[in-house]
Amino acid sequence: MGNTKIAIVDDEVHIRALLEQTLEDLEGEPEILLASNGAEGLALIERERPRIVFLDVMMPLMNGYDVCTAVRQNPDLTGITIVMLTAKGQESDRVRGMETGAHHFVTKPFDPDEILALAHRILQTP
Amino acid sequence: MSKTARYLKAPWARQQLELLLPLLPAGAAATLWYDNKQLAATGADGADLYEGAPAVHRFPLVLESRELGQVLLRLPPGTDPATASAWGDFLVHSLQGVLEAQHARYSIAQETLESYREMALLQRAVGELNQSLKPASVAASLLKEFADRKDNINFGAVFLRDTEDGHYSVIGSFGHQAEDVCAALQASHLFAVMTGHPHGDIINDLAAGEIAALRSLMWIPLSVHGEHLGLLVLAADRLEGFAAADMKRAQTLVSVAASALRNAQLYAAEKVMFQAFVRVISTAIDAKSPYTAGHCRRVPEIALMLADKAHQAEHGPFANFTLDEDERNALEIAAMLHDCGKVVTPEWVVDKSTKLDSIGNRLDLIAMRFEVLYRDALIERYRATAAGQADAETAYQQCLRQLEADYALLKKCNSGGEFVSPEHVERIQNIAKAHWCNTQGETFPLLEASEVYNLCVQRGTLNPEERKIIEDHAIHTIRMLSQIPFPRALRNVPEYAGGHHERIDGRGYPYGLTRDQLSIPARIIAIADIFEALTAPDRPYRKGGTLSWAIDIMHRMKQEGHIDGELFDLFLAEGVYHTYTEKHLPAEQIDQVDLSRYLDPAPH
Ligand SMILES: [Fe+2]
Ligand SMILES: [Fe+2]
Repeated sequence: MGNTKIAIVDDEVHIRALLEQTLEDLEGEPEILLASNGAEGLALIERERPRIVFLDVMMPLMNGYDVCTAVRQNPDLTGITIVMLTAKGQESDRVRGMETGAHHFVTKPFDPDEILALAHRILQTP
Repeated sequence: MSKTARYLKAPWARQQLELLLPLLPAGAAATLWYDNKQLAATGADGADLYEGAPAVHRFPLVLESRELGQVLLRLPPGTDPATASAWGDFLVHSLQGVLEAQHARYSIAQETLESYREMALLQRAVGELNQSLKPASVAASLLKEFADRKDNINFGAVFLRDTEDGHYSVIGSFGHQAEDVCAALQASHLFAVMTGHPHGDIINDLAAGEIAALRSLMWIPLSVHGEHLGLLVLAADRLEGFAAADMKRAQTLVSVAASALRNAQLYAAEKVMFQAFVRVISTAIDAKSPYTAGHCRRVPEIALMLADKAHQAEHGPFANFTLDEDERNALEIAAMLHDCGKVVTPEWVVDKSTKLDSIGNRLDLIAMRFEVLYRDALIERYRATAAGQADAETAYQQCLRQLEADYALLKKCNSGGEFVSPEHVERIQNIAKAHWCNTQGETFPLLEASEVYNLCVQRGTLNPEERKIIEDHAIHTIRMLSQIPFPRALRNVPEYAGGHHERIDGRGYPYGLTRDQLSIPARIIAIADIFEALTAPDRPYRKGGTLSWAIDIMHRMKQEGHIDGELFDLFLAEGVYHTYTEKHLPAEQIDQVDLSRYLDPAPH
């Protein structure tokens, strides 16, 4: 199995905890990394090069779009799938998210089974 | 990996031991075992410590009276045992604090995740279940939620309770030999318990063979505001059977399904009522005149037969034509109501069987006037004979013959059965010049202007004004139907119904629409309308036409651009005319139709 690291970048501690706990159910027990703001998240991504990043849109220091743009502009960072976490009712965020290079979108509050299925699918694709 | 295994993480544990080590006397070592694994070790040979070795103290890690791990601590020889246990207790206390906090966090998070799951489930289920307006599809959506999951639910069924007789019927099921299992369920004594139970329950210890091969059973009533609509039954093939969590999850779905089911039932009831209204109206139109009896009942039948053939066609002009259930329903309603505008048409026009037929037949009046002339002629004969005129008898006979011939002509023209030629018109106008007088000596025309006008109608019995009144029924149909707020599925009914007197060449009424402006269902109803009218067997004073005669007339109508040629060809080629006539016409009307005269041989 290749890279199975998963990063969770969200300023809300309960979202981090819930996502972490959800993803711990994945088979193979991937390593889960946490960051609580955009800047910290970008540093984490650059250092750890995770396979998947769950990225909140609204965050202090650096928002999700900017993190996403920075990741996409860094030629060293390849093979990272970005899943954006958007708030319910802000579906217009998706257009912007897609423009900055996010692959998937999950609306908060998320469905744990949907998150699991999505992460599983991403880890299966090389 | 157990849930509790995640409570302590190796890097954190390692750091904790590293932080402790400088506080311990030189030569000390410690190791932490957790979840049957050595999570961290510190100090000289720390990793090799084992219980029972010299100078090694053991401290268990306990969470909710369950031992999850241990700390092994080795202190230099000569260390006071009390000091050793103080260090150990300190370390274990801090680790247990972390364990308890983690345990609390995981439990709270687990609870939250469950709520998230339920919310997501509801969100999806509400959308899917409420989309459906049929009890069977509500049941299918509900069962899909269980059938699709990989949690060993291997049988499911939804039973619907009949509101009239309380009988239960299966409206959806899944699983191996589901039908047999459903039958076994309904036959079991348990079924009465299940239907009488207000909240549903779980039975995990069914005796083998009690109900088919079921082992664990869960049932939940489908009810809305205390009204019992039906029952969801699930069976699982798993060792531990159903748990309270399965029940809770199912109840969430069932609550949504029950209201969707209720809606579907209400919708169906409305639909039935609406159809009953439509039937009442169409029966009323049929009953209005003996000349059209059964018309509104038979036209929908022909129209649906033809529409179904067009729907089924895989080749030819209707290969791409489809008719879904809603559209089919709209077509049927439109065909039933196509002549509803006739409720405002005066009966005396609809039933006008002769030209002088308005309220009472005016020909009788004319006959009376002729009677006066006959008597005048008779009196004249007596007078002339008395006066000794030689030609009295001859003149009388001549006058009589003339009057008889005139009256015969009027009577013939009045029937509307034949074309009125210009010579006839001239003769009628001449007859109209004659007068009769009463005993006071007042004179009156033999025929009134309106009578001449009606008698000179060249074809049929209706004068142009009356024809207009009849034709107006089409626009009245459109006006009446346009006032009904049809639901989306039926919004085309006015168009389908209102176009049945249009011609594809644009010379029909009321709007003179052409083929492209008429929908296929409208063109279908036009054909059904004509075919029914031509073959209707039960008209007063007229026998139903033979089948071949009707087809021949319609073929001419196709050539003249009156009816849709492609639909008419389909009508012939698919034998719609045949199926219909076999079912509805008396044998004497059914004769051989030579299709080769009307249809091109199929191209190869
Ligand atoms: Fe009509
Ligand atoms: Fe009609």
